[in-house]
Amino acid sequence: MATDWLYLRRRAVNALALALSTLATLVGLGFLAWILWETLRQGIAALDLKLFTRITAYGADGGLANAMVGSLVIDALGILIATPIGVLAGAWLAEYANRTRLGESIRFLNDILLSAPSIVLGLFVYTIVVLPSTALTHGNTTFSGLAGGVALALIALPVIVRTTDEMLRLVPSTLREAALSLGIPQWKLTLQILMRAARSGIITGVLLALARISGETAPLLFTAFGNNYMTFNPLDKMSSLPQVIYQYANDPGDAMHALAWAGAFVVTMFVLLLSLVSRLVLSRNKVSHD
Amino acid sequence: MSSPPAAVADSLAEQRSRRDARDDRLFGWLLKGCALLVLAALLGAAGATLWGGRHAFGTFGWHFLTSSAWDPGNDVYGALVPVYGTVVTSVIALLIAVPVSFGIALYLSEVAPAWLRTPVASAIELLAGIPSIIYGMWGLFIFAPFFAEHIKPFFTSYLGDKPDDGKLSWVAAHVPFVGKLFGTDYPFGAGVLTAGIVLAVMVIPFISSVMREVFQTVPTRLKESAYALGSSTWEVAWDIVLPYTRSAVIGGIFLGLGRALGETMAVTFVLGNALELSPSLLDPGASIASTIANQFSEAAGLQKSSLMALAFLLFVVTFIVLLVARLMLRRLAHKEGR
Amino acid sequence: MTESAPAVAAPVPQAVAAPKLKVRDLHFYYHGFHALKGIAMDIPEKQVTAIIGPSGCGKSTLLRVFNRIYAIYPKLEAKGSIELDGENILDPHYSLNRLRSKVGMVFQKPVPFPMTIFENVAYGIRHHERLSRADMEIRVEQALRSAALWDEVKDKLKQSALGLSGGQQQRLCIARGIALKPEVLLLDEPTSALDPIATGRIEQLVEELKSEYTIVIVTHNMQQAARVSDQTAFMYMGELIEFDSTEKIFTKPSRKQTEDYITGRFG
Repeated sequence: MATDWLYLRRRAVNALALALSTLATLVGLGFLAWILWETLRQGIAALDLKLFTRITAYGADGGLANAMVGSLVIDALGILIATPIGVLAGAWLAEYANRTRLGESIRFLNDILLSAPSIVLGLFVYTIVVLPSTALTHGNTTFSGLAGGVALALIALPVIVRTTDEMLRLVPSTLREAALSLGIPQWKLTLQILMRAARSGIITGVLLALARISGETAPLLFTAFGNNYMTFNPLDKMSSLPQVIYQYANDPGDAMHALAWAGAFVVTMFVLLLSLVSRLVLSRNKVSHD
Repeated sequence: MSSPPAAVADSLAEQRSRRDARDDRLFGWLLKGCALLVLAALLGAAGATLWGGRHAFGTFGWHFLTSSAWDPGNDVYGALVPVYGTVVTSVIALLIAVPVSFGIALYLSEVAPAWLRTPVASAIELLAGIPSIIYGMWGLFIFAPFFAEHIKPFFTSYLGDKPDDGKLSWVAAHVPFVGKLFGTDYPFGAGVLTAGIVLAVMVIPFISSVMREVFQTVPTRLKESAYALGSSTWEVAWDIVLPYTRSAVIGGIFLGLGRALGETMAVTFVLGNALELSPSLLDPGASIASTIANQFSEAAGLQKSSLMALAFLLFVVTFIVLLVARLMLRRLAHKEGR
Repeated sequence: MTESAPAVAAPVPQAVAAPKLKVRDLHFYYHGFHALKGIAMDIPEKQVTAIIGPSGCGKSTLLRVFNRIYAIYPKLEAKGSIELDGENILDPHYSLNRLRSKVGMVFQKPVPFPMTIFENVAYGIRHHERLSRADMEIRVEQALRSAALWDEVKDKLKQSALGLSGGQQQRLCIARGIALKPEVLLLDEPTSALDPIATGRIEQLVEELKSEYTIVIVTHNMQQAARVSDQTAFMYMGELIEFDSTEKIFTKPSRKQTEDYITGRFG
């Protein structure tokens, strides 16, 4: 009798735990569906041609054209700065400093930088880019798209370093031996053979980094700042989609909220598209390598 | 095509060899320089905020950490309110996110049928890819009103000490602290608890993906021998898998904590931004990141310096939390390597 | 029980050409583990020398000392001397560039570079010599012909080398090695990842190449050693047990250990 009861109790506990774990998964998926659904619903309702043709200076009657251009410019700057540095740093970790103490430390710190608060990185760039250029221009506070790009580069950097490092370490060491036994120097081997072998992995890392920075808001507030007019000049103040969303969402007007939703929709679609593309790039790589 | 004489070829090879060695050295330095930029970014972020906050630290000293004043009118600033808000929202987020993440990881590694695992895991990971500003928008316009209408009344009338109908519930009257935690006059959905819930949704994918990954490192023979003794799925998870992966699970939780502490946008939208100390979780509050985001552009002088000082505190705390997280995660990696 | 021959007197097979590589008192250490113990041997020019022995005996390690490829990993150390045409290649002043243009190597698994077939061969040449486009095309064709691959790939030189079959990839790697016109070609179990037909082609190729190159081949396959080589060295536990003409090793070995290994009474 006692064992029967114990057995039943154990079965009940097991069933309850498994039911709860399924419920937890449903909760997670539910939140995902809820967030995506609202972004789609509100975003599509607010979609309008003037989003792409008018600038934010018109306020509720305007669009987001300058913010989209600004986002593209700032994100492009961030990626252009972070990619060469990140790829070379990742190559150092994988090819030159693998299993050395300094290499391990940098790899470790890079993982920390990966999750460091972006707002603090924004203040860092404010201190090293905005403040000095303010001093140079005799006190006009010089927020700029370039400063925004530098801030985003700091956020993209660890993503690119990490994927490059991991992807290069996946390249079989026989490829290195084969090239070195032909007398090819290390730098040529790294740049022309190993990076080519790990190319799709590295591209995936860059795309992931782009997805990560294209939704970043906090560091842009004190670097690129914002600009209600269209500009392509990275030395000028520049608006960006996330920053305009932030500004409009905090505005009391319903029309502004609609614009913010439209911006949120555009950003979300862009990010989802990027993660889809990066997955495709990676899976194609796996096929061609086998 | 005749080859050059051997001696000439050899001396050419010597020249190339020297040139290659030099190029390799220069290339190595270039790469090392790039890698050191990672270090420079971390040191620079700490240094820049410390330098920017020197004025505040100098003026208020240790009092900066313990003062709850944040008064631009009198130019007096203390970190207590934003630090409290940061810690409380993050703790709420973890209290919700850790069990849910454990459930998801358990579901994905032990419960779900094989064909369902990859799509569900990808969907959960998608949650991590959504930009924080979108969480903020959703929290502000969708979740906070929903919370105010459907969830908050339950807390205020059954647990809080300021119920709408004035009748104190048994819990609020008899259990200490609970009444204060859930009592409020604030009519809106934004507040500390709301921010904690939104943060929880944000960090769930991070914690659950780490947990799922480490659960998969448990050797199959270990699990199989437990199953062979007649253990149930839950018993294997709780008695075998969890103890085996404990340090990495804690690492994953700390990773989520690091994210939650430093998160700006999702919190700023739904925290209400009131720089006053209140015991109630349903009252609006402020976090370090939200205070900086709201005030930095318009601040000057001592206020700006105080915001920098806040950023320094945030950076140091998240650095320590992330350091612990990575060390814990690395322990499992070493175990795996053996 | 293994009393090795005195270190200096190298076992030289009877009636062979002048030695291309003279190995004397070679020791090798792997993180402190003594992997090669006083190896001494003369490898004759323009012949095929096979190195056999049970796995872990040091045969691959020995091969990897001949072009100092081991030097890319930390904590590996070679002591003693290996003379290539009278110069000690273990001398740090002997430049790696020069060594590797003279001593080519082919590995167990085919490792084509992620480039076109043409570029795979041209890439190595380009680093050592500056050739006109026309000369380069001639060189690549010569190398591919020597590796018996030309007819199979001449119409798809611009395609990725990763699309070739395993056997073709391995011959491409041989072509890549001989394109640099090395004097010595090291083959490290070159057929262990290939099917019997591809293996046959590689063996035939080795036979053809020995008129121009000094070839050292490491193999775990005794029949292969018997088929392709002129000399065979038998190694065991880091020592060179016996080194003689292939015929003698496989018919009348003078050491008991060799006999045990050849007849399969071993490990």
